[in-house]
Amino acid sequence: MAKMNMIQALNSAMDIAMDRDPSVVVMGEDVGYFGGVFRCTDGLQRKYGEHRCIDTPIAEGGIIGTAIGMGVNGLRPVAEIQFADYIYPGFDQVVSELARLRYRSAGDFYAPVTIRTPCGGGIRGGQTHSQSPEGIFAHVSGIQVVMPSNPYDAKGLLLASIESDDPVVFFEPKRIYNGPFDGDPDKPAVGWSSHPQGEVPEGYYTVPLGQANVVREGNDVTIVTYGTMVHVAEAAARAADVDAEIIDVRSLQPLDLETLTTSVNKTGRCVIAHEATRFSGYGAELSASIQEHCFYALEAPIQRVTGWDTPYPHAFEWDYFPGQKRIIAALEAALED
Amino acid sequence: MGQYVFKLPDLGEGTVEAEIGEWHVKVGDQVNEDDVIVDMMTDKAAVEIPSPVTGRIASLHGQQGDIVAVGMNLIVFDVDGESANTATSEATPDAPQAAPTAPEPAAKTVAQTVAPEVVANANNTSTNARVLTSPAVRARAKKQGIDLSVVPGSGARGRILARDLEQFIAGGGKPASSTVAVTNLETDEIEEHKVIGVRRVIARKMSEAKRNIPHFTYVDEVDITEFNALREHLNATRSADKPKLTFLPLLIAALAKTMKAFPQCNATYDAEREVVLRHKALHVGIATQTKDGLKVPVIHQAQARSIWALADDIKRLSEAARNGKAKKQELTGSSITITSLGALGGIVTTPVINSPEVGIIGINKAVDRPVVKDGNIVVRTMMNVSVSFDHRFVDGYDAAAMVQYLKGLLEYPATIFVPE
Amino acid sequence: MASKQSRLHVPSAPARPGDEPDFSYLKLMPAGRLGRPDSHVKVNETHELASGLVRVLDDNHEAQGQWDPHLDAKELQVALRHMVMTRIFDDRMQRVQRQGKISFYVKSTGEEAVSVAQAMALQPGDMLFPSYRNQGLFIVRGSNLTDLMSQCLSNTRDMCKGRQLPVMYHSAEDKLFSISGNLTTQYPQAVGWAMASAIKGEQHIAAAWIGDGSTAEADFHHALTFAAVYQAPVLLNVVNNQYAISTFQAFAGGEQQTFAARGPGNGIAGVRVDGNDFLAVYAVTQWAAERARAGAGATLIEHVTYRGSAHSTSDDPTRYRPKEEWAAFPLGDPIERLKQHLIANGDWSDARHDALVEELTEHVTACWREATSYGTLNEGPHLDASLMFEDIFEKMPANLRAQREQWRREKSGD
Repeated sequence: MAKMNMIQALNSAMDIAMDRDPSVVVMGEDVGYFGGVFRCTDGLQRKYGEHRCIDTPIAEGGIIGTAIGMGVNGLRPVAEIQFADYIYPGFDQVVSELARLRYRSAGDFYAPVTIRTPCGGGIRGGQTHSQSPEGIFAHVSGIQVVMPSNPYDAKGLLLASIESDDPVVFFEPKRIYNGPFDGDPDKPAVGWSSHPQGEVPEGYYTVPLGQANVVREGNDVTIVTYGTMVHVAEAAARAADVDAEIIDVRSLQPLDLETLTTSVNKTGRCVIAHEATRFSGYGAELSASIQEHCFYALEAPIQRVTGWDTPYPHAFEWDYFPGQKRIIAALEAALED
Repeated sequence: MGQYVFKLPDLGEGTVEAEIGEWHVKVGDQVNEDDVIVDMMTDKAAVEIPSPVTGRIASLHGQQGDIVAVGMNLIVFDVDGESANTATSEATPDAPQAAPTAPEPAAKTVAQTVAPEVVANANNTSTNARVLTSPAVRARAKKQGIDLSVVPGSGARGRILARDLEQFIAGGGKPASSTVAVTNLETDEIEEHKVIGVRRVIARKMSEAKRNIPHFTYVDEVDITEFNALREHLNATRSADKPKLTFLPLLIAALAKTMKAFPQCNATYDAEREVVLRHKALHVGIATQTKDGLKVPVIHQAQARSIWALADDIKRLSEAARNGKAKKQELTGSSITITSLGALGGIVTTPVINSPEVGIIGINKAVDRPVVKDGNIVVRTMMNVSVSFDHRFVDGYDAAAMVQYLKGLLEYPATIFVPE
Repeated sequence: MASKQSRLHVPSAPARPGDEPDFSYLKLMPAGRLGRPDSHVKVNETHELASGLVRVLDDNHEAQGQWDPHLDAKELQVALRHMVMTRIFDDRMQRVQRQGKISFYVKSTGEEAVSVAQAMALQPGDMLFPSYRNQGLFIVRGSNLTDLMSQCLSNTRDMCKGRQLPVMYHSAEDKLFSISGNLTTQYPQAVGWAMASAIKGEQHIAAAWIGDGSTAEADFHHALTFAAVYQAPVLLNVVNNQYAISTFQAFAGGEQQTFAARGPGNGIAGVRVDGNDFLAVYAVTQWAAERARAGAGATLIEHVTYRGSAHSTSDDPTRYRPKEEWAAFPLGDPIERLKQHLIANGDWSDARHDALVEELTEHVTACWREATSYGTLNEGPHLDASLMFEDIFEKMPANLRAQREQWRREKSGD
C-alpha cells in the first residue's frame, strides 16, 4: 500500500498497464515529454519511449480518430483529452465511429480505446474548463462511461477500462485530483493522504466496470451520486445529521442498477446528485430507472441535486456548484412525511 | 371563411385563470356578437362572457370545471371574411406552455408563470377522487387491503402520510375487504363533493387567510336599544319610494365614521410589496351566503352613500351574489368586511379576515336581556360585536379602541350623523 | 485594373442541364510528361506532381514515360476483368434497387480504375479504409459477390447482420475496414492504423479513400496533420469525381488549387493522377506504397475522374448537370481505355471482351440468384431481429438484456 492522490493513482494504472501489455499506448496533447498538464502521464514517456507515450497535435478529432485506427490495428490506446470541455471536436469519432464500430461490423472490428478526460468545476475554470458532459456520452449506445471519486477506484477502474475491449470514456473529476472536496471552498484544502481511499496498492488490481459502491450505509434516504459529489454528499449528510446511504455509481454505463434499487427499496427515499446540468442529464436516467424499479417503495418524490441549466460561470462558480446546502434542501424534501 | 380564435381575456385585476362555469353554446351553434357564450368563474364571480364575433362555433376548449389560463384558446369560431385571427392561433397553439398573448407585458409574464400550475390544478380536478399519498403508502395499503379513501390525511392538501395509515390501522381501521368495513361504508353513505368553483376559491382563500394572518379577535356587547329605536322610527316615517332599513345601512354609516378615526383598520395588505394600503374611502364587503357558498359583494365609496342608498345597494348586491350575477367589480375591492350570522343566533364569532383586508366586523344576534343600568335592572336590546384584525398591522389596543368608538356611535346613534 | 472592393466569390458549376459540357477548367497534361522521382523524394519536391497530372496512357492507348508500371498482359487482363465485373455488378444492383429488392445503392461507374488499380498495387496485408464508392477494392480482394449482395439485401448472410445501409461492406479477413455512412471519419482512422503499424514495426501500410467534397471535413485536416507529423505509412486518396451529390468540387476548394496540393501544403507528398488511367493509378499507388513502406511518409493522391452515374439511387443528376457530360469527359472511360490499350498491345479483342462481359453478366446473375435465396429485405428467410441487441458491447449489459426481453414479449404478443 502507498499513499497516492488521484493523479498518482492514474499514473500508476497507466504505468502498470503499459508494463503488462506492450499494446497499451498513451497519447494526447502534452502527455509525453511534459507528462500532462495535470501530470497524470508524468514519466511514462521516459520509461516507455516516444512510440508508446505519444505527444499529439491539438486536434481532438484527430486524437480520437487515430486512436480508433490504432485500436483496430491491435493497440490498446489510452487517449487523453486535456479537458472534457475540449472533447467535442472528437464527438463524431466517439459517437459515430468508436461507439458503433463493433455493432456496424457485426463484431468483426472493434477498437479498445480508453479516452481519459478531466471534468468538473471548482477550479476556477470558467465555462470552458469545468463541464461535466458524462450524460452526453452515457446517452450514446456503445460507450462505457466511468467516473471515479477517489484514488483507489481511479486506479482500479482505469486498469479495468484499459483492459476492456469496448471503448470507455473515463471522466476524472479534477477538483478531487489532489484531495477530497466537500463542497466548501472556504475550508482549507485537504489531501488524499489522510483519506482511507488514498491508500492505494502499488501493484495491479482492477475495480470492475458496472459495479456501484456503497460508500456509507444508512437507513433513511439513499443518495445516488458519483465523482466529486460523493464527498459533498457525505459532508451534507453529516451536516444535516441524516442517516443517509450514499452510493457512488462509479460506472455510469454499464450501470449497476441493482445496488441502487436495493438501497432505495430499503430507504424509500432517494436524492440524486451530480455536478452536471440538470435538464436531460444523467440524473434523469437514474431518477427514471429508480422510479420504475422502486415506485411502491417511495415515500417521497425522488430529488435531483445538480448544477443549474447554465454554462459554468467563472465568477459565480460557487453559486453554480451544487454544494452541501443544495443537497441538504433535497434531503429535507426527500425526508418529508 | 376564416377562423377567429378567442382566448380567455384578463377578466379584471390581473386575473390569471378562470374556471369554466357553464357553456351556453355548443360546437356548431351560430352565435351573434355579444351573445352570452360561456360563464367563467373567477375569484368569486360568475362572469358572463359575450361573444366577440358573429359566427359559428368551431370548437370549445375545456369543460365545465376546467381551469383556463388567461391567454389560452377558449373558443374557435368559423367566421366570414378576412378579419380572422388564425395566424395568431397557429403561432400560439392551445397549450399552456405556449406564451399566452396578452396586451400588457406584465399580464403576459404572470400568465406564463402560472400556466404550469394551472395544468396541475386541472389534472387534480379530473382525478379528484384519487387520494393523495406516496407510492409507498399506497403499496402498504394495498398489501393490507385498506381503502385509502377512508383514511384521513393530515399532510398538505389532505395527503395521507405514512403515520396516518399507521394510526388508522392502530385505531382499528379495517381492511376495506373485511365485512365490517364494507358495512361501515354502506351505512356511512359517503358522498363525494368535488371542491370546485366558488367552493374551491373559498377553500383556498380561507386557508390562506388562516395560514398567513395572525388573527386577533375582540368581542364586546353593545346596547342597541336607541339604535333600534332610530331604525324603527326611520322605517315608520320613510316615503314609499324608500327601502326598508335593516341594521346594516346604519351600521355601515357608523362604520364609515369609525374608519375615519381608525384608518389603520380600513386597509389592505399587499404582501408582495410588503405595503399596507390605507383607504380613505370605505369599500365595505358584505359577507353573503349563497347556494354556492360564501360570497362578498362590495359597496364601494360607502362613506358617500346615504343610508337609503346603502339599503338599496345591499339589497341589489346580495341578490346578484345569490343569483351568481354579480359583476366582477361588484365582488372585488373591499377595504373591510361585515359578516353577520345574527339571524341564526350565537353570541360570539371569530370571523376570518377576508384577505387582503386587515379587519372584519362580525355582528351577532341582537337580543332583549336584563342589564344593569344606573343601578337598576332594565331590559335592553343587546348585541355583541366580534371583530378580528390582522395583528401584524393592527395592534390590540387600537382594535379595542376602534370597537369602543363604534360602540359609542351605536349606543348614541345621533352621533353617527354629527360631524367631528 | 484591380478592384478596390471586397467581394464574395461563389463558385459555379461549369455547365448545367441544357448547356454544352465544359471541362476547360480541368488542368490536363499529356501522358508521360511528368517524371517519376525517387519515392523517397522530399515533400517540398512533390509540388509539381501535386499540381500536374500523372498520365501513362496516351490518346493512342499507348503507355508513355517514366510512370509506366510495365505490367504484363496477364495482369492487365485481370485488371480489366475486375473493372468490368465492378461495372456489371453495379448495373445489376442499380436494377434490383429499382425493383424494390434493396433499399439503396451507390454505383462507381467511371471510377473503376481507382479502386481496381490501387487494390492490385497494394499488398494483401495492407489495410484499406474505403468510402462507399470503392466496391472495386472488395472485388479485387476476392470478396464473394454473393456476400456483397447479401449485405445490400440485409439477408441472413449479411456480414453486417442487418445493421447497415446497403454498400457499407467490410471484411476483416480481407483487411477492408467497415464503411461508415459519415464522411471522412475513416481518414484519421487509417492514419492511426498506419501509426500502429509503425509502432509495432510492421511493414503493412494503410490506405483510405474519400471524395473531393469530403476534403472540406475537419477529419481530412486531422488526418493530414497526423500523417504529416508522424510521417505515417498511409496513402490518403481523394477521388475527385467532380461532384459531391450536386455540389461541384469547386465548393470543396478545388478551384484555386488542386486537392493533391494540400499534401505538400500540409507536409506530406502529393500526387495528382489521371484516375481513369489504370496504369497511372497503379504506378502512383506503387510509388506511394514504396515511399510509405520505406519510412518516407504519407502521400496524398488526387485521382481526377468523373462520377459517371448518379450519386446514389436517391439522386437524379439530370437536374443539376448536362446528361452529355460523362461522354464529354476528357479523360474518357477507364474500362474502354484499358481495353483499347490491351487491344493495341495485341493482348485483347472485341470478341474476347464481349465474351468476358457475357461470362461476368451470367456470373453476377447467378450470384444474385444465390444471394436472394438467403432472403431479401422484404421476403424471408429473415435475420433474427434480436441480433439488433448484440455487438453493442462485447458482453451484453443489463439494460440491453432487459430490452431484448421486452422486445421478445412484444414480438410474442404477451
